[in-house]
Amino acid sequence: MENESHGIMWVFAGLNLIFLCCAGGLFLFLIFESYPIFKLHGFDFWLGQDWWVGEAYGALPMLYGSTLVTALACLLVLPLALAVAIFISEFLTPTSRRCVKAILELLAGVPGIVYGLLGVSFLSLWIKDVFGLLDGNTLATASCLLAIMILPTVLTLSEDAMRSVPAEYRDNALGLGLSKWQTATAVVLPQALPGIMGAVLLGIGRAMGETIAVMLVVGSLDRIPDPWFNIFSSAQTIPSKLGREAAEAIGEGTHWSALMALGLTLFIMVLLINFIGNRFLKRRSIS
Amino acid sequence: MFRMLLFFLVAIGVIPFPVSADHSPKIEIVGSTTVLPIASRAAERFEKLQKIEKFKSSHRLRILVNAGGSGVGIHSVAKGRSDIGMASREISPSERKRFEGSHLKVHTVAVDAVACVISSEIYEAGIRDLTRQEIRDIYLGKIRNWKEVGGPDRKIVVVDKERHRGTRHVFMNYIFGNPTAKTPGTILVTGSNNEEQTKIAQSDSAIGMLSYAWINDEVRAIGIRDNKSIVNLTRETIRKGNYPIVRNLSFITAGEPNGEVKAFLEYLKSPEGQQLVEESGYIPFT
Repeated sequence: MENESHGIMWVFAGLNLIFLCCAGGLFLFLIFESYPIFKLHGFDFWLGQDWWVGEAYGALPMLYGSTLVTALACLLVLPLALAVAIFISEFLTPTSRRCVKAILELLAGVPGIVYGLLGVSFLSLWIKDVFGLLDGNTLATASCLLAIMILPTVLTLSEDAMRSVPAEYRDNALGLGLSKWQTATAVVLPQALPGIMGAVLLGIGRAMGETIAVMLVVGSLDRIPDPWFNIFSSAQTIPSKLGREAAEAIGEGTHWSALMALGLTLFIMVLLINFIGNRFLKRRSIS
Repeated sequence: MFRMLLFFLVAIGVIPFPVSADHSPKIEIVGSTTVLPIASRAAERFEKLQKIEKFKSSHRLRILVNAGGSGVGIHSVAKGRSDIGMASREISPSERKRFEGSHLKVHTVAVDAVACVISSEIYEAGIRDLTRQEIRDIYLGKIRNWKEVGGPDRKIVVVDKERHRGTRHVFMNYIFGNPTAKTPGTILVTGSNNEEQTKIAQSDSAIGMLSYAWINDEVRAIGIRDNKSIVNLTRETIRKGNYPIVRNLSFITAGEPNGEVKAFLEYLKSPEGQQLVEESGYIPFT
């Protein structure tokens, strides 16, 4: 018996190794494939503003677009997700809570292209009309769409985090005379913060990597908006750029290398965000 | 327990391999969204014809048609990722050089025009034609309002295409004399004809470029004005060669085609195939 469980552990360790190798291999592949462009342009690749296939490869507009779209989506999603999560976790009866959660988790599984098509047919037109814009394919449209897409994920995971705060905490807080609302905001929310952070990080990961939905509504213009904070102008994100050009460049050449470098950039961005997030959590738990 | 798990793992590893053997003949076609309607119509009919001819054969020919753009079509046929590429432009000199070893062969089946199109709202407001210089200035961002060319006081939504799209090559080659011209006036970049058509139809002040077959009531083609004489876009002006922005729609193979691919290309050039070209909204190539 002892021997058997030992063997299973080795199988599981082996599986774990496969996943680690996949992540590491992907990273190495991206570095290897993007090496030619960095050799050619150096770090100017990240600072250049022009992307003309065959002449110049500058990633700044895409970098900027990805960052801004994701940040905006997070700003939009956080207050909403937290408010609804508190409501579901602290104020709903268990039955209705399960019902609401099931529907939310269903939404989290809807593929990006569905959101994208809805974005093209409705959201971009609404945004155009509501804000009186020249055109509805903007950074703001993409951010709204992403916010809608990551809302179920962020919401349901935040709710799990709040729910997993031990019941004694709540009982104690209520026993001390705190109201239900005070218990939720002063006791449950701080305790659930690491879990909420994890939920947001997962949401950011999905938002950053979303290709097709963003591609259809962001305008795909490789230019930093003028002025830079103008969220009602079209722009470009890294995945959208890859989606539009990868099929043409596939396999070799400077163009391909430049696209792979964009992929590498995205990889590093997500890595950095996760790293910072974890650091933040660690510091909190120590203090 | 462990033995069961091991068996399970081995089983997953082994099962998929023997199943994937599928010997039925298959043609893969990839490329220009402009040529796509012809290809998918022809594929459907040709598959049926094959079925009748080879009634007793158990293997049925399958033709898979995928979009992607002319650049993608040329690239994938040259690299052997598809059997036939679709292109709505010539193979560029740099592509010729790059794919020299693939011996690309062009089979032209239809003639198409690239229209300068505008939103129907602008068309109704009285813009029916533009000069080459005006279109150039719009794409360069020198003209930003429709009133500067005699239209309503409304900003222009300048719609451009991805740089590897065949339609863009042909259009820019006429407007700027350079297929990869830079267009700082652009507000939106789109991909396929479908996408561009949708975006222009949704806007009420857009200008763009579309293949002849994609023009409809919401997306109107305008004439090209030159020294007071105006050439409108009609079947007649394309056929006679008066309309300036025309191009050939082609299928591309790597080397001489043979077998099913050859039969398919011959079908496209036959009277029946040319009838399909007409149904797709293009002019037969004669």
